[in-house]
Amino acid sequence: MSVATTAIGSRSPVPARLRERGARLRERGMGASVLVSAISTAFGVILISATGYLAAILRADPYLGASGTLAVVLGFLTVVLVGVAVYVAAIVTANTFSTVVAGRTRRIALLRLIGSSARAQRAAIAREGLIVGAVGASVGLLAGTVLALAGVAVAGPALGVRDIAYDVIQPVLLAPTVIVAGTTWAAAWAGSRRVLTVTPLQALGNSAEASREELARRSGRNAVAITLFTAGALLLAAGIAIGLLSPVGVLVAFAGGILSFTGIVLGAALVMPPALRLVGRAFGRNAVARLAAENALRHPERSSRMAIGVVMGVTLVTMFAVAMESAKVVMTAAAGGQLPDELAAVLDTFAGVMMGLVGVSAVIAAVGLVNLLTLGVVQRRNELGLLRALGLSTGQVRLVVLLEAAHITVTSVVVGVILGVAYGWAGAQSVLGSVAANPHHEKAGLVWPAIPVPVVLVIVAATALLTLVAAVVPTRLATRVSPVAALAV
Amino acid sequence: MGLAARVHQVSKSYGAGAGEVRALDGVTVGIRRGEFTAIMGPSGSGKSTLMHIMAGLDAPSAGRAWIGDTEITGLSDLELTILRRRRVGFVFQAFNLVPTLDALGNIMLPFDLDGRRPSALETARIEGLVESLGLATRLRHRPHELSGGQQQRVAIARALATAPDLVFADEPTGNLDSRSSREVLALLRAASVEHGQSIAMVTHDPVAAAHADRVLFLGDGRIVADKPRQSAEEISAYMLAAERGRDVDAEVSA
Repeated sequence: MSVATTAIGSRSPVPARLRERGARLRERGMGASVLVSAISTAFGVILISATGYLAAILRADPYLGASGTLAVVLGFLTVVLVGVAVYVAAIVTANTFSTVVAGRTRRIALLRLIGSSARAQRAAIAREGLIVGAVGASVGLLAGTVLALAGVAVAGPALGVRDIAYDVIQPVLLAPTVIVAGTTWAAAWAGSRRVLTVTPLQALGNSAEASREELARRSGRNAVAITLFTAGALLLAAGIAIGLLSPVGVLVAFAGGILSFTGIVLGAALVMPPALRLVGRAFGRNAVARLAAENALRHPERSSRMAIGVVMGVTLVTMFAVAMESAKVVMTAAAGGQLPDELAAVLDTFAGVMMGLVGVSAVIAAVGLVNLLTLGVVQRRNELGLLRALGLSTGQVRLVVLLEAAHITVTSVVVGVILGVAYGWAGAQSVLGSVAANPHHEKAGLVWPAIPVPVVLVIVAATALLTLVAAVVPTRLATRVSPVAALAV
Repeated sequence: MGLAARVHQVSKSYGAGAGEVRALDGVTVGIRRGEFTAIMGPSGSGKSTLMHIMAGLDAPSAGRAWIGDTEITGLSDLELTILRRRRVGFVFQAFNLVPTLDALGNIMLPFDLDGRRPSALETARIEGLVESLGLATRLRHRPHELSGGQQQRVAIARALATAPDLVFADEPTGNLDSRSSREVLALLRAASVEHGQSIAMVTHDPVAAAHADRVLFLGDGRIVADKPRQSAEEISAYMLAAERGRDVDAEVSA
């Protein structure tokens, strides 16, 4: 007795807890959250530096310097682009934590059984989110600052503006860092809601992973989503109508676009499962296709959230491409069939830069997709072992994982391209409806959306690549599952 | 020669050097066709390892194994997979069903994985199984909507659907209450008696083993007894005696 007390008393409890936390942070899946926090912070830092540098150049220009409009527009674009990237990163983190929590159910239940409260458990997981966010944001701040310094050093001579004094290192760079760390924390908190539903009894029973996460009835959130979407769609229509008289319509349409798209994103759990079901049916009725298609709908909320991340990226890229292409068509007609080379080059460059910038969000969404598939495989070990025992060959396992990845990417791209064409057209239409459409100064009226085929092809190719890349790690893990090990209870 | 599966001089070791653990030590045994065989033994006796090797789930370190007349030692992973799919049925203690498929989908899985539809004969057999297992009203239910006993019956229907050379049952009653256990054991016994299905069941429960035609006892990686049908009391008595013998051995060697 006395020996035991001394042994326990001599050991401080703190190192054990820290060790435990260290082990948890090394858990599979956390890396993705660190990565997306780093990418979005670095993106923010670089964009702030780039726009700041551009503004400095403009101020130095004797003709443009007086007008602050361009600087305001650049600042606005920066906020929107970084905002989208941070939002997608937060989605990835919330998903990661909700998946990790699902995998930890047994351990959480055991701690509950011993006497830990659900709130304490959830707070512990949110703290992990804060650590992950802080680490990721710091790495991103460092990497972004280094890249920005290098960029300014290179850009000065390249643009022929040597005498621009611009300090890269500014307190404002801390803004994206703090915001990303904070949103990661919040996302971890949001994603860990499931902890509250874990009962101590689950540690005793032979509870496998919950077979099907019930879609929580979030009627409140869905009502908000539907309201936002409807209001946004009406504003879009109004913007297009006003656009037939004056280009000011674009401002109304812009507000409508933001509202309706926010509605779609919030209502992802309403929009995406039917789309996923439709695409899943197209895979066919054989066993492999069915196993793959059903997996996306096993956790409809998780899959929807992940898919909506990819949808956001694809929608924005398509939107810029379609808007620019439609604008070119109208301007070409207005110019009498030939667009001045200089103007065409400016339009193409702007579209290219914007597509590249929103592409960053698509990359973040891709990281989340890889993570979702990987965690899905890790948590389905028993099931894969059962299927292997019953006669699923390793080739079929590969196909299941590949189809699972394709299921989400194909659905997201189809939805994203449709939305992108709609928004791109609405934007172009509301600007161009009233401008002269030919040398005789007749109004353009309703313009048919012009879809740039090369951009769509690039999106399709990128999707195929993303699908293959996303499937690599999960496939390796899935084919390594031995039926004997997985079925050992 | 009427054997559904057999192994010859099979050994299996894990690890190497001083840490080497011998799970099986030169076991030679056959599972007779049409019989319900129970494989018993304490934890670590090698009974699960023996089943895994006989079912083509694991490869032996030495020795040979057959399913029917097909030698399975040395087959590739794909060949073994297809062999399991067509000629072996499985009932496990847990994780028996794929959660995303309904009961019918789970029963049809061996055919679906093979990319074929069941023949008229097989369809008739499946319908008969569904009827006799009382699953007719549950076919469209997903596993989480079924009780443990119902889930196990779906697993039995799946295992019997292809009329495999051999059905392996690994602690099939381990997670069930005593009433569901009796039901499951009676169903396995009926499959063997009425349809001549060969079944090998790994268990440590004397009550479960008492339903079998033959009881094999394993200890320390060897077959230590091979007995005809026994009552649960006889099996318990034998196991207790064996346990005492081991204790005595241990004391003597210490």
